[in-house]
Amino acid sequence: MTRQKKWAFLVVPVCLMMIFTAACNSGGAGKTGSSSSTSSTETASTSDNGVITDWSKQPEMTLTVFDTLANFAGEQQGWFAKLIKDKFNIKLNIVAPNLSGGAQMIATQMASGDLGDLVVGLGGKDYQNAIKSGMILDWTKDGLLDKYGKNLEKYAAQALDANKKQYGGGTAIYGIGHNVGTGEGPSEGADMTFGPMLRWDLYQKLGSPQIKTLDDYLPILKKMQEMDPKSDSGKKTYGMSLWSDWDGDWSTLAKVTAQFYGYGEGDGFNPGDMILTKADGPEYQGFLDDNSYYMQGLEFYFKANQMGLLDPDSLTQKFGDVSNKFKDGQVLFSQFPWVSNAYNTPAHTSEGKGFALVPFQDEKVYSSGFNPYGGPWIWSIGSHTKDPARVLAFVDWLFSPEGVQETNIGPKGLAWDIGKDGKPALTDFGKKATANGDTPIPAQYGGGTWKNGVSALNNATLATSQINPNTGEPYDYNLWKSTLTANPDPVTKSWREAMGVTTSKELFVKNNQIAVTKPFFNGQPAAQEPSDIKLKHSQVGKVIKEYSWKMMFAKNQGEFDQLKQQMDQKAKGLGYDDVVNWEVQQTKNTVFKMYK
Amino acid sequence: MSASLTKTADSSITGKRFQIKDKYTLFLMALPFLALVFLFSYLPLYGWIYALYDYQPGIPLANTDFVGLQWFTAMVSDQVQRAEMFRVLRNTFAISSLGIVTSILPVIFAILLTEVRNSKFKRIVQTLTTLPNFISWVLVYSFAFMLFSVDNGFLNHLLMSLGWIRSPTNILADDDHVWLAMTLWGVWKGLGWGAIMYIAAISGIDSELYEAARVDGANRFRQIWHVTVPGIIPTYFVLLILSIANFINNGLEQYFVFANAMNMNHIEVLDLYVYNIGMGNSNFGFATAVSIMKSIVSLFLLFAANGLSKLIRGKGII
Repeated sequence: MTRQKKWAFLVVPVCLMMIFTAACNSGGAGKTGSSSSTSSTETASTSDNGVITDWSKQPEMTLTVFDTLANFAGEQQGWFAKLIKDKFNIKLNIVAPNLSGGAQMIATQMASGDLGDLVVGLGGKDYQNAIKSGMILDWTKDGLLDKYGKNLEKYAAQALDANKKQYGGGTAIYGIGHNVGTGEGPSEGADMTFGPMLRWDLYQKLGSPQIKTLDDYLPILKKMQEMDPKSDSGKKTYGMSLWSDWDGDWSTLAKVTAQFYGYGEGDGFNPGDMILTKADGPEYQGFLDDNSYYMQGLEFYFKANQMGLLDPDSLTQKFGDVSNKFKDGQVLFSQFPWVSNAYNTPAHTSEGKGFALVPFQDEKVYSSGFNPYGGPWIWSIGSHTKDPARVLAFVDWLFSPEGVQETNIGPKGLAWDIGKDGKPALTDFGKKATANGDTPIPAQYGGGTWKNGVSALNNATLATSQINPNTGEPYDYNLWKSTLTANPDPVTKSWREAMGVTTSKELFVKNNQIAVTKPFFNGQPAAQEPSDIKLKHSQVGKVIKEYSWKMMFAKNQGEFDQLKQQMDQKAKGLGYDDVVNWEVQQTKNTVFKMYK
Repeated sequence: MSASLTKTADSSITGKRFQIKDKYTLFLMALPFLALVFLFSYLPLYGWIYALYDYQPGIPLANTDFVGLQWFTAMVSDQVQRAEMFRVLRNTFAISSLGIVTSILPVIFAILLTEVRNSKFKRIVQTLTTLPNFISWVLVYSFAFMLFSVDNGFLNHLLMSLGWIRSPTNILADDDHVWLAMTLWGVWKGLGWGAIMYIAAISGIDSELYEAARVDGANRFRQIWHVTVPGIIPTYFVLLILSIANFINNGLEQYFVFANAMNMNHIEVLDLYVYNIGMGNSNFGFATAVSIMKSIVSLFLLFAANGLSKLIRGKGII
């Protein structure tokens, strides 16, 4: 008996040790992440005997999707899930760093050495490091791309080629950029990304006063606030309501002011967001330059706050809170159409209440042009995937006209169909579903509601304002002739009559109030921030963000100026000039060369 | 189990023959815990090596640039940077000091609670005060937002409708009294939980001591002062010394959720600073370097507190 017990004393610690070391080993192996090259070789057998064309006959598979853009984590639901289950017999399990830790989670995943089956939206330094350490699959291996990438080669050949030159040393292809498209002019759909939007009904009641500069919005908003002091639920209305949870190195909403003037942060190619660069010319401003558009933005919101127009919760609330305030009608001005759209429900618009675009005369809205080389949110495949052929075939479908169309507006026959005139049109169900995301979906199409069936991948493949060769109309249903000529709601109708155009994009183009970016490509990947610049960048960014909010909520002009001076002093002390100089140098070496 | 234990105790005294054998048994019994200490306290020290590299996730250390002490010098490289470090340390020390000052509150609370005669009331109070400990800081913040937001917050609503204030104030975006506010949140969350240990210590005090005190004519207050307080002082001191060792790590979550541009100047403690600069922006080398400095300061503080304890009470804990 005692002998047995002594034996037990020996065994228990040994077992414990084994458990711990085992746990430690697996963790350790993941951390080093260097054992990648072995597993990708054994996958070749699946596609050796001919090309698989009907994936629905293959055994079911769950793809782990590492998606840096997704705002949903877990298994894809609803109609999109049904669509790809029928076509590829796959389920998508989405991992979304946006929802849990952001950059940190990306770093953790990178350190683990395995990025899952499909990698969405990874770009820049992380992407290059992932390639370097063998975490990304080369699409040219075993002729994969030739077998399963017909649509990619047909509709996005230049983007594949760009990836090959930039990241694959001229031979390998490690993925494809997002929003690929060719053509002139803006690539946006009916609406632009930026406004400004005003409550159209109130603006009309005021007699549509002229708005020349950004500051002209303020007195108008003041009058609108007096006209409509209470929201639907009886809360106080504000001119504008901001949020801070999207802030990086500055206040995002103040920065949007630059976009009203055709400037954007960074140059769209290199990393770096301490300079504002003109969309269509070799001009730039430092964020802290005396009269930079960022500073003008801060001053705009400062003045708004002085007039009692700025929601005092702006600093402490999150985007969701703001969205709810819009829905309730508590806010009268919006920087983005896609934020204020929350208010334009059928219930509101039928009463004539709604948001609409009201640009100011000096405006020159920032617009992304078509980019045949693809944008920086790259679609790529993890090198550890068990079935690279199927993942590539899925990506290929996402880049096909059929895939783009159905990802955008669902399977043909549900929300849309080809009409008698041979042109696509929304069905009655489609009209209901696009107006109200909570519309239930019939079980044979996957069930659930329209909203939760939308693809959670949240990254563009081909630009949707391009023409779908199968239908002869753009992919984006908002641009279909049938949608544009359909009976509009009273707000849209009134806006169209007043402006003499049908869409926001047309208005900007008509008045020449648009600055469209040009695609840049020199066969090289973008420069990477050296570590000392990066550290300075983080520290400077923190100071700018902090002081920006303080300035917007400053008590008076004196305090505003004083805070501005403090921000300058502190940011420059922490290396602001070094960061800006480095970024300007990169921009001059690359993007600005286009204009010479 | 008990049989073998007594046997162990016996044999260690008597037979020299068995001594070596028992040593191994005892060592094996301690081994799992030694392994735990090694795994969770010593092995991670290997990670300090990252402070010397320009580490980028995904790239093995062998292929990473060695940067020497660059990250250490970056902490104190120039005037403004030094001022930043000073500001962060000042916040850390201020909030930690307030934390230590308020660490007496759970003691008082525990004593008062044990003096309550109505056991039902006692249990209700204990449950209600322990509960906040289990609420995560994120939820505490949303609770705080509901209470204090300007637009629809309970407090502003109440004060406005009572007519005590004209315009609402944004308490959460206030840079005044941040240290105090953070300490109060901490006390609210930890009071009941912190008292549990002392309640246990009090119930461990021999009841004969109370009887003797009563016989000597001590009233209730005297009993507390001369029996209860001396009975729990050792517990308090041990916890105090441990909290001094943790002086510089006052955690992250609380300050992270409550931080905003307005109060950042005073709320940014060392851990939050490391998070904001190091983790949030992937400057892992720098984050590690700051953490190393932190560990060294903690070690120094622990020995200082222990020395102090030896000086005052005549015995330390190490």
